[in-house]
Amino acid sequence: MATIQTQGFTLDDSGKRIVVDPITRIEGHLRIEVNVDKDNVIRNAVSTGTMWRGLEVILKGRDPRDAWAFVERICGVCTGVHALASVRSVEDALGIKIPKQANVIRNLMHATLYAHDHLVHFYHLHALDWVDVVSALSADPKKTSELAQSISPWPNSSPGYFRDVQNRLKKFVESGQLGIFANGYWGSKAYKLPAEANLMATTHYLEALDFQKEIVKIQTILGGKNPHPNWLVGGVPCSINLDSTGAVGAINMTQLNMIGDIINRTIEFIDQVYIPDLLAVASFYKDWAKIGGGLSGANVMSYGEFPDIANDYSNASMLLPSGVILGGDLKKVHDVDLKAADQVQEWVTHSWYKQGDESKGLHPFDGTTDPNFVLGAKTKGTRTNIENLDESAKYSWIKSPRWKGNPVEVGPLARYIVAYARGNKEVTEQVNMVLKTLDVPVTALFSTLGRTAARGLEGSWSAHKMKYFYNQLMAGLKAGDFNTANIEKWEPSSWPADAKGVAPCEAPRGALAHWVKIKNTKIDSYQCVVPTTWNAGPRDARNQIGAYEAALMNTPMVNPEQPLEILRTIHSFDPCLACATH
Amino acid sequence: MRVERVTGRVLSGPMEDVYVYEAPVRLWHWITAFCICALVPTGYLIGAPLPSIGGEATASFLMGWIRTVHFVAAMLLIVMFVLRLYWVFVGNHHARAIFIPAVWSGAWWKGVIGQAKYYLFLQEHSDNYVGHNPLAQMAMFANFLVALVVIIVTGLGLYAQAYGWGSGWMNAFGWVTTLFGTPQAVRTAHHLMMWYMLLFIMIHFYMVIREDIMSGGTVFGVMGSGIRMFKREPKP
Amino acid sequence: MIETYYDLMRRQGISRRSFLKFCSLTAASLGLGDAGAQQIAQAMQTKPRTPVIWLHGLECTCCTESFIRSAHPLAKDVVLSMISLDYDDTLMAAAGHQAEQALEDTIKKYKGNYILAVEGNPPLADDGIYCIPGGKPFVDKLRHVAKDAKAIVSWGSCASWGCVQAAKPNPTRATPVHKVITDKPIIKVPGCPPIAEVMTGVVTYILTFDRLPDLDAQGRPKMFYSQRIHDKCYRRPHFDAGQFVEHFDDAGARQGYCLYKVGCKGPTTYNACSTVRWNEGTSFPIQSGHGCIGCSEDDFWDKGSFYDHLTTIKVPGLGGAEGTADKIGLTAAVGVGAAIAAHAAVSAIKQARSKTRNDKVSEVEK
Ligand code: HEM
Ligand code: HEM
Ligand code: NFV
Ligand code: SF4
Ligand code: SF4
Ligand code: F3S
Ligand SMILES: [Mg+2]
Repeated sequence: MATIQTQGFTLDDSGKRIVVDPITRIEGHLRIEVNVDKDNVIRNAVSTGTMWRGLEVILKGRDPRDAWAFVERICGVCTGVHALASVRSVEDALGIKIPKQANVIRNLMHATLYAHDHLVHFYHLHALDWVDVVSALSADPKKTSELAQSISPWPNSSPGYFRDVQNRLKKFVESGQLGIFANGYWGSKAYKLPAEANLMATTHYLEALDFQKEIVKIQTILGGKNPHPNWLVGGVPCSINLDSTGAVGAINMTQLNMIGDIINRTIEFIDQVYIPDLLAVASFYKDWAKIGGGLSGANVMSYGEFPDIANDYSNASMLLPSGVILGGDLKKVHDVDLKAADQVQEWVTHSWYKQGDESKGLHPFDGTTDPNFVLGAKTKGTRTNIENLDESAKYSWIKSPRWKGNPVEVGPLARYIVAYARGNKEVTEQVNMVLKTLDVPVTALFSTLGRTAARGLEGSWSAHKMKYFYNQLMAGLKAGDFNTANIEKWEPSSWPADAKGVAPCEAPRGALAHWVKIKNTKIDSYQCVVPTTWNAGPRDARNQIGAYEAALMNTPMVNPEQPLEILRTIHSFDPCLACATH
Repeated sequence: MRVERVTGRVLSGPMEDVYVYEAPVRLWHWITAFCICALVPTGYLIGAPLPSIGGEATASFLMGWIRTVHFVAAMLLIVMFVLRLYWVFVGNHHARAIFIPAVWSGAWWKGVIGQAKYYLFLQEHSDNYVGHNPLAQMAMFANFLVALVVIIVTGLGLYAQAYGWGSGWMNAFGWVTTLFGTPQAVRTAHHLMMWYMLLFIMIHFYMVIREDIMSGGTVFGVMGSGIRMFKREPKP
Repeated sequence: MIETYYDLMRRQGISRRSFLKFCSLTAASLGLGDAGAQQIAQAMQTKPRTPVIWLHGLECTCCTESFIRSAHPLAKDVVLSMISLDYDDTLMAAAGHQAEQALEDTIKKYKGNYILAVEGNPPLADDGIYCIPGGKPFVDKLRHVAKDAKAIVSWGSCASWGCVQAAKPNPTRATPVHKVITDKPIIKVPGCPPIAEVMTGVVTYILTFDRLPDLDAQGRPKMFYSQRIHDKCYRRPHFDAGQFVEHFDDAGARQGYCLYKVGCKGPTTYNACSTVRWNEGTSFPIQSGHGCIGCSEDDFWDKGSFYDHLTTIKVPGLGGAEGTADKIGLTAAVGVGAAIAAHAAVSAIKQARSKTRNDKVSEVEK
């Protein structure tokens, strides 16, 4: 077939077709198909979400105050972000203003998720793309210790410590039962770390697994559990009592102390383990600063996050700013308006849904979700046994969102580029530090490596912000501000017959918003446009490709039978497919 | 006085006073009525508690007492019901009337239809009956007995839930939760039955008064003395 | 419960002598020498860790997230030393063909001896196309792996009951595992998600005592699911006293009063939250001020608002009319009251008229 030209890419499906399904170490079910040319360079990429649950359909007719709990179950990995997006949009629809302390507590819970999610992604979902666990067995623990001590003051760094871990791994491997490490790509030429770095990173894989469970306890205290803490329209459900009778039954001094302590340990872990590891690993994979850029050098978007002023989601308040950059022009940052009918729109031309005129996109206030599973004529296999998809037809459960018709990339990298372009001081300092340490130009950001680095930097940023929010909370309490919920408009009888609302929320994986319409106190329509929808979505009516497909283009593979390169780039987005399709 | 055997319809005079409800039936009637008067308000308050009271938890046991009254009345109601079941077998003909309506009998069905027509004002007069008329038997069976059984069963199901799976109570009544699917569903059914019970009581009160005035026999005092007196001869 | 390789070889009539010879030949071919041969022999004679295959259907992965939060035992220790997690798409290194190969290898090697853990559930509508990992309906994969499993663990409310995707109108016909697989022992570990330590508690119980835990009538381990949140809740004294939170963040809320009136489903929820608590015993929903939403119960999404003690019910035959038991009951009572009044009025008129006529009738009768 003829090639397709789009956004500066040439899509050519004539070469050998490679299918990777399931893509593992992600949330949910993702399928990637690519065509490689005779030099094993990817010339066509197809990203397919292979699950759909219908949350938007299920929400119709329900109490808007309950919606957060339903949408929270869109994802247990970025747990809470949909709940936050939901309570914010319902508050927007009904004109509810949350108290100052509620805003601080929400920020603290949200920053906690950022720190946790980024850490777990780096070690448990992404690291094995770069770290050869089997090679760690041949490392010298003493040299590993020297390496570790040269990059970080982290105390767990003695030769004995690394030897113990190595012995445990040895015993594990010798048992012949490799568990989650079975059939990995160990020994591949694509792995570049020396044995000692492999041992250090593998050790930290285990250490991070132990530590991550501590971070989330902040959400447990303020939201009752993790995953899936509790939220509330109008504020937060956790009442605080420091002085009087019954304090032991509410949020009290012991729990606040625990939060403070966990924050300090989180900052330590991220700054002394995660960031040094990230830089160490990156320094061996600098070639990946030129691969996998996709849309990041052109179109990126952020809705902004962490409102410093309660109920104010404008850039005057957001600690990470909102904005859109088009065509790589960092000098011009466009403003985002979620209510404008011509800005955010979703297409279903290549998605398994039907709508009236599929050559048009719909703004989420007018959006529909009506499943329609049909396969193109060139599909190989059958409806229930798909060998190759036909991307000229419908081919994914993900929709294709566009900003003013443009595909954009979202996520930590997009947020950092927007913040950098807007001149955010903290972000600029962090970015410059990394560029200097790795000795790479600013364009290195627009890559697989840049994406992974931005996530790490943001992990550190959010850990420090946790402390900032905690201090705000304590200062407020000191000044006697204990209000955590506004219940003025709690009763549905106080609501207008018709209302609609939308609010931004930057989730760890990028820009998220929910559009809700309320009629006679019940949800009339609910549409979620989710980070991974933006990134992993299929082509649109004009054949423009999304961020995943773009990022895979032109990547050289060492051995197409071992899809390490595909995993690296796809994982750099931290895919969440349950989110993407919902 | 000639009476139709199955239905209790008076066929011809002379009209005599009849001993209808034996003492155990009357005792059951009034204790049950008393229990229900305790169960409805306490049950309602379990579902929608009184405004919160302040102070120390140890200083009050309001909800606890409401529940205790509910449970004591419930247990008395159940015991009385079991005794009443015994009386179905050893009591007189009328003790069986609402437990075993004569659905197999054509005459009985004729009575139901005739009585229904009478209540719908399609027929001028009702027949005289010694005990409950057939329609009353049917209504008592379908609207009171079944409701009472459901409320007792769901009540016991709820009561057992607190003891937990594997407890004696749950071994005996866990099937209720399994039958309804979830504990919340049992609660909802129990709660709905309270309202059903209330509807029955409203209609029952009305009918007792109306029948006393309009039917051919006395009704009002019958649950007191057990004796029914007749005001007029049956139609030929 | 699981045979070692050595047992297997002996059962197939291979002598100990030839077994040792096999080991040294293998070692030699790998260039490992004598010490290597001994290690191989050792490994083949020790009992393998119980293989676990962890499948994901329609879900949100919160069960996996919860599992890795386990503190006692640490998730790391479970995965490295207790079980052999041979397939789990969320954590495994291999992808695509290599991942699917690992799955088939385990099924073949440990036929009848592996445990299948399921997170999420299969959608059955439209041939199962709402979940097609590997290009095939998830339900086929579930059946395929279940066939040779020793037992199945249904993680979370999705696998146990259906959970959020099965809430009305359940557009994909998401169906819990026990309704698809009917010929295997199934342990339900419900919760959205289940508590981490409950998850690892169930796993370690099976491994340590080599048997499945006692289950209640609904298939949940009695040790964790036999009591209601309400019966072990630290706010229970306030319930008994009649002290309730009337609104969020009111004075009662700050004193830890009972959350019943703001919709707490603790009285109808069987789970271990009020005792084991969450995240290493740190807290649980009620302790943080929000009522229990009943997340471990079947169908908890369709029981009405999370902020109302009473369930919202649709009145059958009334075209979508809905209300709580009290609302419906009160409406019915008003209706019946009106009917009684009307009937009484008509009766009174009739009575007045027939008073006069009655005599005539009596005349005739006489
Ligand atoms: C909670 C309140 C009440 C309940 C649940 C109730 C229930 C019943 C039941 C089940 C019967 C049938 C007994 C049988 O045939 O075995 C009955 C009959 C009767 N009840 Fe009640 N009752 C209540 C209140 C009252 C009151 C307040 C009165 C008096 C004013 C009353 C008067 C009667 C009479 C006269 C009969 C006999 C009717 C007949 O002969 O056809 N009841 N009641
Ligand atoms: C006329 C009879 C009865 C009426 C009208 C009645 C009514 C009610 C109502 C309205 C509730 C509140 C339900 C809710 O929370 O939504 C309730 C609760 C309850 N009832 Fe009854 N009930 C009756 C008989 C019984 C019987 C026979 C039992 C048997 C033991 C029983 C046991 C219970 C229990 C255990 C509860 C739950 C209490 C709690 O969890 O605190 N009830 N009842
Ligand atoms: N995409 C996505 Fe999420 C995130 N972050 C949410 O909105 O992962 Ni589950
Ligand atoms: S049970 Fe709940 S928490 Fe677990 S996967 Fe299902 S939706 Fe997520
Ligand atoms: S808070 Fe909930 S579980 Fe606790 S006592 Fe009150 S109703 Fe029961
Ligand atoms: S909502 Fe779920 S987490 Fe526990 S307290 Fe209730 S079962
Ligand atoms: Mg959507």
